[in-house]
Amino acid sequence: MTEILSVQGLETQFRTREGIVHAVNGVSFNLDEGETLGIVGESGCGKSVSVMSMLRLIPSPPGQVVAGKALYQGKDLLKMTDDEIRHVRGAQISMVFQDPMTFFNPVLTIGKQVSEPLEIHNGMNKKMAYERAAKVLEMVGIPKAKERLEDYPHQFSGGMRQRVMIAMALITNPQLLIADEPTTALDVTIQAQIVELVQRLREELGMAIIWITHDLGIIAGLAKRVAVMYGGCIVEEAEVKELYANPMHPYTRGLLGSLPRMDESDHRRLVSIDGMPPILMEKPKSCPFLSRCTYAVDHCKTENPALKSLSPNHKVACWVDPNTGREF
Amino acid sequence: MSSMLSFIIRRLLILPLLLIAVTILIFSMLSMLTPYERVSLYVKDIPKRQGAMEGLIKKYGLDDPVPVQYWRWMAGTKNPDTGEIEGGVLRGNLGWSKTGKGTVWEVIGRRLPATAELALWTAIPMIGIGIYLGVVSAVNHNKLLDQILRVFSIVGWSIPVFVFGLIVLLFFYAKLGWFPPGRLSDWASQVVQSSQFIRYTNMNSIDALLNGRLDIFRDAVRHLVLPVITLAYLDWAYLLRVTRSSMLDTLNQDYMTTARAKGLSENKVIRRHALPNALIPVVTVGALMLIGLLNGVVITETIFNIPGMGSFLAESAISLDVISVLGITMFNCLILLVGNLIVDILYGVIDPRIRLR
Repeated sequence: MTEILSVQGLETQFRTREGIVHAVNGVSFNLDEGETLGIVGESGCGKSVSVMSMLRLIPSPPGQVVAGKALYQGKDLLKMTDDEIRHVRGAQISMVFQDPMTFFNPVLTIGKQVSEPLEIHNGMNKKMAYERAAKVLEMVGIPKAKERLEDYPHQFSGGMRQRVMIAMALITNPQLLIADEPTTALDVTIQAQIVELVQRLREELGMAIIWITHDLGIIAGLAKRVAVMYGGCIVEEAEVKELYANPMHPYTRGLLGSLPRMDESDHRRLVSIDGMPPILMEKPKSCPFLSRCTYAVDHCKTENPALKSLSPNHKVACWVDPNTGREF
Repeated sequence: MSSMLSFIIRRLLILPLLLIAVTILIFSMLSMLTPYERVSLYVKDIPKRQGAMEGLIKKYGLDDPVPVQYWRWMAGTKNPDTGEIEGGVLRGNLGWSKTGKGTVWEVIGRRLPATAELALWTAIPMIGIGIYLGVVSAVNHNKLLDQILRVFSIVGWSIPVFVFGLIVLLFFYAKLGWFPPGRLSDWASQVVQSSQFIRYTNMNSIDALLNGRLDIFRDAVRHLVLPVITLAYLDWAYLLRVTRSSMLDTLNQDYMTTARAKGLSENKVIRRHALPNALIPVVTVGALMLIGLLNGVVITETIFNIPGMGSFLAESAISLDVISVLGITMFNCLILLVGNLIVDILYGVIDPRIRLR
């Protein structure tokens, strides 16, 4: 498998009135062709900001990528000219966003919006682009797609809109699809449909996927590898089965502990993680999870642990082995 | 689109009702003047002609109860000599204007072209520059250019029109002598009133072009510069602010990220995705401004000595010409209501979310 994306030491800051917010603090991950990576974490942990920084979609000011590389097929997205990165966006790397209502332009027809990437990247004329748009809309399961091209976003239901958004992202056959919490705004039944749709499309089209979510349940059936983010850092990265069977970071353990399980007979209380996620007004010198961690030792207060490999398919950023309670 | 049609029909049906409500409102307000005040305009040399006023009051029933007078104004009166019904707003007769020395309709017909010409010439720079600068200001949010434009627009928005109008008149006419008040120079009005000059629209600048008289056109435009600057600056200052805030709001919308993520250039992101959304509130405000201009701008027309609807209203009001004031107000209301209807329809055309309701 060839690697199509390699993010190294990505750091993003936001300059606000209150000071600099360190939203992403040295995020690194790799992605192979056709592979699906899940990025999991709670709101504000920097998952969206990481991928948006990669595509340089962070509004600047106030946002700024201050360090790191994002090598897409060997070329650094962060060093490209505006023109070069425009030819990557929407053509080779596409995005699907969280809220299918607010991420569509309310005054443009679906046909216009879905076919637009073809028009910019492939120089297609309107008629051809619309025909192709109808085909792709059919592929994602929009009934009577051809007639619906002239409709506006508000004339679609939430689930249908998300299908349209996926069609819009895939119309140019991108190598990489970034899905930023695409199911968060949807009903549970619709969520399952969207996940199934993406699985089917992945088999048909073979693109790589980065799936950002805070829902560990959804990611289990979808991704091969999962990266768990906390406080702007990746704190654990492992193959899906390994992560669920053997979570090594206290935060991952907390997340999994807070999930209800179907296979448990006794009705245990769901465990929540006490405390609040950190406000990243300064670059963390200690472990960002320190204040909420039940395993913390002195070392955690003085140094933020880097991501280290425990085995070829399991990395964790923690000083303590939670199974023994002692430092590694 | 059938819902659109029913919407228009409904609005057209309401229109006469609104107009009648307006007549009641204005008529009752003007009835607060005493009969003597209302009749004084029509009697010359009041001290010498004792009893003349009382005679007129009795003749026209100005001391009758207000509803009776109102009905007479609406439906007209029967001429005792000929037996014909005369006047009556419901029959389209707004009465005789003493101020304009003609029927109210005739005077409106005479005065409207000057106002329409002013409105036309003001609307072009106002809408063009106002919207353009609003977009520029929003795109350069909080940069120097934005700050300068904001100061410029807040100044325009806060200066009263009579102050700004007088300042430009003082400077550009009294001091520099570049742009005179009025509508035309004497030589030009003689040409315009001659038989060779065909009056198509009664708007001097446009008629001059249609007659191929560039010298007259130049003269007409020279007279228009100051009032247009006065009106346009004050109005575009407001339009700039509306456009700017609407554009800023739009630029913060999620779908702007979608557009960028598709690989659109920043220019296209703004033109294709931001502008159509940002202009929705601007269209309403702009159209209402245009209606305001058509209704006559009392102060500007008075300062620059333009014989339009605004100065007609001012003159009528000063001389307590009740019939003229009633007539002008009715006419302005008609323009306002029709204009509002057009704005509502336009709104449905540019915003698909409203269209289907």
